[in-house]
Amino acid sequence: MSNLQAPILLVTIPLLAAFFAALGGMLHRKISFPIALIAIILSFHQSIIVLLKVVNDGVINYRIGGWMPPFGIEYVVDHLNAMVLVVITFVSLISIIYSKLIVERELPDKIPQFYTLYLLLTTGLLGITITGDAFNLYVLLEISALATYALLALGKDRALISTFNYLILGTIGASLYLLGVGHLYIATGSLNMADLFRILPSLSGNSAVMVGFILIIVGVWIKMAFFPAHGWLPNAYTYAPSSSICLIAPLMTKVSVYIMIRIMFSVFSAEFTFANIAWQTAVVWCSVIAIIGGSLQALAQRDFRKMLTFLVVAEVGYMVGGVWLANEIGISGAILHILNDALMTLCLFLVAGILIFKTQRHQLMDFRGMFRKMPVTMGAFIIGALSMIGVPPTCGFFSKWYLIQGAIEAGRWEFMAALIFSSLVNAVLFFRIIEIGHFQHETDSHDHAEEKISEAPAIMLIPLVVVAIALVVIGLYTNDIVTNVIQHAVPVL
Amino acid sequence: MKLIGLIVVIATGLLLLWGVTDFPDWADPQSPASTHLSPHFLTESIEETAVPNVVTSVLGDYRGFDTMLETTVVFAAGIAVYTLLRRSRRKDLREKPEMIEEELPHQALIVKTICRLMAPFMQLYALYVIAHGHHSPGGGFQGGVILGASFILLAIGFDLKMVLKRMREKTTLVLGILGVLIFSGIGMVCVLLEKNFLDYSALSAILPATDIIMARSHGILGVEIGVALAVMANLVLIYVNLSSDGKYERGL
Repeated sequence: MSNLQAPILLVTIPLLAAFFAALGGMLHRKISFPIALIAIILSFHQSIIVLLKVVNDGVINYRIGGWMPPFGIEYVVDHLNAMVLVVITFVSLISIIYSKLIVERELPDKIPQFYTLYLLLTTGLLGITITGDAFNLYVLLEISALATYALLALGKDRALISTFNYLILGTIGASLYLLGVGHLYIATGSLNMADLFRILPSLSGNSAVMVGFILIIVGVWIKMAFFPAHGWLPNAYTYAPSSSICLIAPLMTKVSVYIMIRIMFSVFSAEFTFANIAWQTAVVWCSVIAIIGGSLQALAQRDFRKMLTFLVVAEVGYMVGGVWLANEIGISGAILHILNDALMTLCLFLVAGILIFKTQRHQLMDFRGMFRKMPVTMGAFIIGALSMIGVPPTCGFFSKWYLIQGAIEAGRWEFMAALIFSSLVNAVLFFRIIEIGHFQHETDSHDHAEEKISEAPAIMLIPLVVVAIALVVIGLYTNDIVTNVIQHAVPVL
Repeated sequence: MKLIGLIVVIATGLLLLWGVTDFPDWADPQSPASTHLSPHFLTESIEETAVPNVVTSVLGDYRGFDTMLETTVVFAAGIAVYTLLRRSRRKDLREKPEMIEEELPHQALIVKTICRLMAPFMQLYALYVIAHGHHSPGGGFQGGVILGASFILLAIGFDLKMVLKRMREKTTLVLGILGVLIFSGIGMVCVLLEKNFLDYSALSAILPATDIIMARSHGILGVEIGVALAVMANLVLIYVNLSSDGKYERGL
């Protein structure tokens, strides 16, 4: 039975590499980076294999330990998680190359530990995405959470206190998830997602199942910083070191959205999830508030990183709202937005990282004269910004288009209004920065330190340019992505 | 703010109470948890894995992947604490003034003697718990915790330096990594032997005088040893860093 081993390899290669990076780092601190890089390249390669296999032949099942599910743990790869797996390994690959110099400067005495945690986080996110077992998901949630706490707390200023805040809330979220899984186990006796999906319809009206559902969904919302549980995110992300934030910010919230979609449609069913219209309305309104509130608070910030973190909060509203519109177009839009938003957020945080690397600051005013000093970085920034606003042909436009169409079809005008409002706010936000960068120059030229700033080194610039190009390419190939991948990932309603 | 917190707590409590109403009765033999998967584990476990203790066979084999990742969680916690707390720079080490030592010699003598007497027996018992996990309650996590506790007891009874002399920083780190590496390494060996990950039956090809079923039993023993090492080393690592504020000097 020499099966296709790619599904397990793409998770275990970074895991094993984490151990070897820690061991190798004790010999010499420079060994960790090549180990981590090679592991992530291999993992990326395996995820591509898996995606192609799924697109060509359909769902892959992989039995760990050779046990039949539901007795053993099973990996199930369908179109939805195959896509998310590629996104995770791609983002991880980009930001590990990008952050090499930053790590050496920010954390010179903790390089091996950084790469160990980085690989553990990547493993955790991949494992969450690929697993077909509700409890296995929780274990990986813990791994990724622990690695995230450590990576965020390595930052300066208020990083420790804001990470501690996140640690408390994140732990509550994970506990609620676990408690919910416990409820499901008591009611069904199973932990396998496909098995739960088979059993749960026969238990309609069972209060333990209902409570399990609510606990899991609320737990995941806390993890993804959905309104009103978003309070931890802005500070935790603002003070994080820019080496780790490029991995965490694009992926953590997106993977949580993935968990929510998986639980709603692959453990429970669409009929169960959307049975209660009042619930659905309430969730869409929450996402409306998340979008509008997040955008407005982003507008109020003078710190570039903090502004981006509020945009992350708003984007979570996009995806949750899109899923809870309860129609196929809305859900397609939300799934497409997982892909697009991961890359857009990555692009903007990469720019922020370069800004900090070069100037040691991250205020909006620090963009003064940057178009002259760093034309390539700012070019990529413009593409990222246009995508965030939703200007074609960048990919941000297409997911927003799907979401708006979904809102119209569902008759949720408030959601449509929120989407358009947030696009307008984003336009104001980013054009303000472009204006600062283009037209404002330092008038006081006696500041000689500023004059030395030039373009970032190639090892940081190339990943940024690749991401910026990807934003446009994905936008152009949206149709192919939707027909080959996303269409199969949307549940039949 | 307090009021909001109170409302949330009450609402959650009511929700949980409502959920309990449809729970099966306490220890109900007809509850789904006892009828769906458990009968298979109870009846087939000895034939499929040659392990008499069902908890061990579920933990180490049927759901061995979860256990491997739980061990990784312990490792991640250890490395996270180490990363955040360990101070390597000179100026950090000199940050705080030395504490004034207050020790009552007679009390310390009693504590030290008892701790010294207990430590070898704890460690011996820990080895028994690890090795006997197949037949009686126990296994890698429990044994590893007892092993780790023996070192922590010594650190409390004597001081941190005494433990660090026997279990150096590098040794702790290497053992912690080695533990998780043993577990996932066994899993990878199974892949290299053209079976699925953690399918211990593949090990029968390289272990002498083992059939497919016994290979599972031996595989479980192997991973339990890995778990024990990882848990022990990471507990010591976390304790040392927390108690000495990352300075590896005095401790509690």
